[in-house]
Amino acid sequence: MVIDDALRARIESEMRSFPEPRGALLGALHRVQEELGCVSSEAARELSEIFAVFPVEVLELVRFYNFFSEEPRGRHQVTVCTNLPCALVGANDLLCGIEGHLGIAVGETTPDGRIHLGREECLGACANGPMMRIGGDYHEDLDLAAACAVLDALE
Amino acid sequence: MAGPVGEAEAGSVRIRVDGVEYPVREDLTLLQALDGLGLLNVPEGVEIPHYCWHPHLAIDGSCRLCQVELTRPGDEQARLAIACDAKVCEGLVVDTKSEAVARAREGVMELLLANHPLDCPICDQAGECRLQDHAFDYGVAASRMREPRRAARKRVDLGPTVALDQERCILCRRCVRFCREVTGTGELGVVERGDRSAIETFPGQALDNPYSMNVADICPVGALTTKDFRFKARVWSLDEVDGICTACARGCNVSIGVARGRVQRYVARRNDAVNGSWICDEGRLSYQQIDAPDRLSSCLARDETGELCPVSLDEAVREAARRLRPLLDERGPGVVAGVASGHASNEDVRAFKTFLDVLDVDTIGLALREGAADELLVSAEKAANAAGARAVGFGPIEGLLERLRGGGLDALLVLGHDLLEGDVESPALDAAELEGLDTVIVFDTHRSPLERVAHLVFPVRHAAEKEGSYTNLDGVVQRPSRAVRPAPGVRDERDFLDRIGVALGLAGYGMDRTA
Repeated sequence: MVIDDALRARIESEMRSFPEPRGALLGALHRVQEELGCVSSEAARELSEIFAVFPVEVLELVRFYNFFSEEPRGRHQVTVCTNLPCALVGANDLLCGIEGHLGIAVGETTPDGRIHLGREECLGACANGPMMRIGGDYHEDLDLAAACAVLDALE
Repeated sequence: MAGPVGEAEAGSVRIRVDGVEYPVREDLTLLQALDGLGLLNVPEGVEIPHYCWHPHLAIDGSCRLCQVELTRPGDEQARLAIACDAKVCEGLVVDTKSEAVARAREGVMELLLANHPLDCPICDQAGECRLQDHAFDYGVAASRMREPRRAARKRVDLGPTVALDQERCILCRRCVRFCREVTGTGELGVVERGDRSAIETFPGQALDNPYSMNVADICPVGALTTKDFRFKARVWSLDEVDGICTACARGCNVSIGVARGRVQRYVARRNDAVNGSWICDEGRLSYQQIDAPDRLSSCLARDETGELCPVSLDEAVREAARRLRPLLDERGPGVVAGVASGHASNEDVRAFKTFLDVLDVDTIGLALREGAADELLVSAEKAANAAGARAVGFGPIEGLLERLRGGGLDALLVLGHDLLEGDVESPALDAAELEGLDTVIVFDTHRSPLERVAHLVFPVRHAAEKEGSYTNLDGVVQRPSRAVRPAPGVRDERDFLDRIGVALGLAGYGMDRTA
């Protein structure tokens, strides 16, 4: 079991607050991602049992949303929005620059396990693009220098 | 429950489709209603192309191709809607041929084709591909795509029976729904988003259920193919013949694909009264028995050394009469028994029963192999015509076996070899128990351990090789068409019995014979 009793209890209590228990599945995936660092196939299988859905239905959610990963990523999840409004103000150039600064490509983790770099769909910060998200924090109105300064300050 | 005679069925409404009025049930969607009227997918019907909708699966509404123009009472103007998810109502007016409908179909086809590979020359589906058909009917010849097409995995091994080409998939989700709704196994899902979306299985879980190959039947494109038929024949070189599966008592309807004189495949053929749209994998692959290496192709009789050897038809018939005549004359019909098979057609079991009646043989029984059943289609009785054999008077075989073991029998006429198989309805019979008999005459499609004790073997036709009718477990009588010619010398049971009857000089035999 990768989902321990405490986490399982939290998930099951959230299930009770939905008219359809499976409505709590997305939230459960967030809990698992936060606590275990990823939604492994073992965790997905255990969730499918808790929610009485087919395992592949959990996989559909995990692979649909950017928030979830099937393997552990770096300590800091850095994602750059490249949707249309951010793209129009240079998000793709920014992402390229960050790739160069970190020496990794999008989707990869730095060899020291410090930063995982990803691409993000719209985060609703269109007026302040380009922007990136690190964990729960938004960093807005970025240029490459500002972004690199933020990244370098990460431990 | 129904209204008075002469009135429309309770809950029925009138809709007008392309100017023609139809009464339909009000709880249906437009596609369901037209399907129920027998107007879908037929040349003289109403043409509404569709990919994701399937009469035996839940509505998905994902392909968007079935758009038509609908005008409901009170609407100021017609609007485009998907016919699969549009409920009918009194006074609904449907236009399937308008300019707007044509433009909508063209647009949907363009989007579906934007990333579809130009694989047709190497695609198994070519020739029976809805995408190909509808691209021809409603699409535009040239692509406006300047970007490279999406590249995806071309050979995904989904499981033991089916392969997936992700590039060809149009994401109609029929296979996904089939596995969730019909088999309840839920192996397949759609992962990723947008143009990266793909059919996938859970890591470590294969598409592996007793009905798995139906997903290839319902795949409207060449994304899912059965490993059995993959690269085996071009479908336009197949003759498609309406047949039935003979693997169990359900009698599922199949379309038998024939090329070069051989059966190349079975695919499920829709019959809502028998099998819906599905067949089980075991039944689908049972066509392989038709050309199996152990098929009997010649009459066999014992030579001087006791070996079973090929003989001519006339020799075999003469030998049958030579063996049976003295038995009947000296010991009477009481020492002869007849074992029917659930594999023989109604015509053949009736001929067999008549033959036994004329001989006055009353020790008869039906040998039947039994196995696992399921809740969907597979029946426990592993023969297509057990009900037909019972209907002409062949009952349980216990009494016959009792007489046999009690030493009361000298001769046995046997259709098929289910008598011997391990899991017969009755206690299994070992071929050795037949060793003491004077005469064992076998009519069978395939070689079997009965050969050890048989004095005569007559090679008979598989259901796909003959004309005949079969009664399924619900009493539905089906008359499949002949799909292939049997090997020369392989005949119907009734034909052999007729000849033996003539050779024995039985009353009523040979009267109509001209040759």
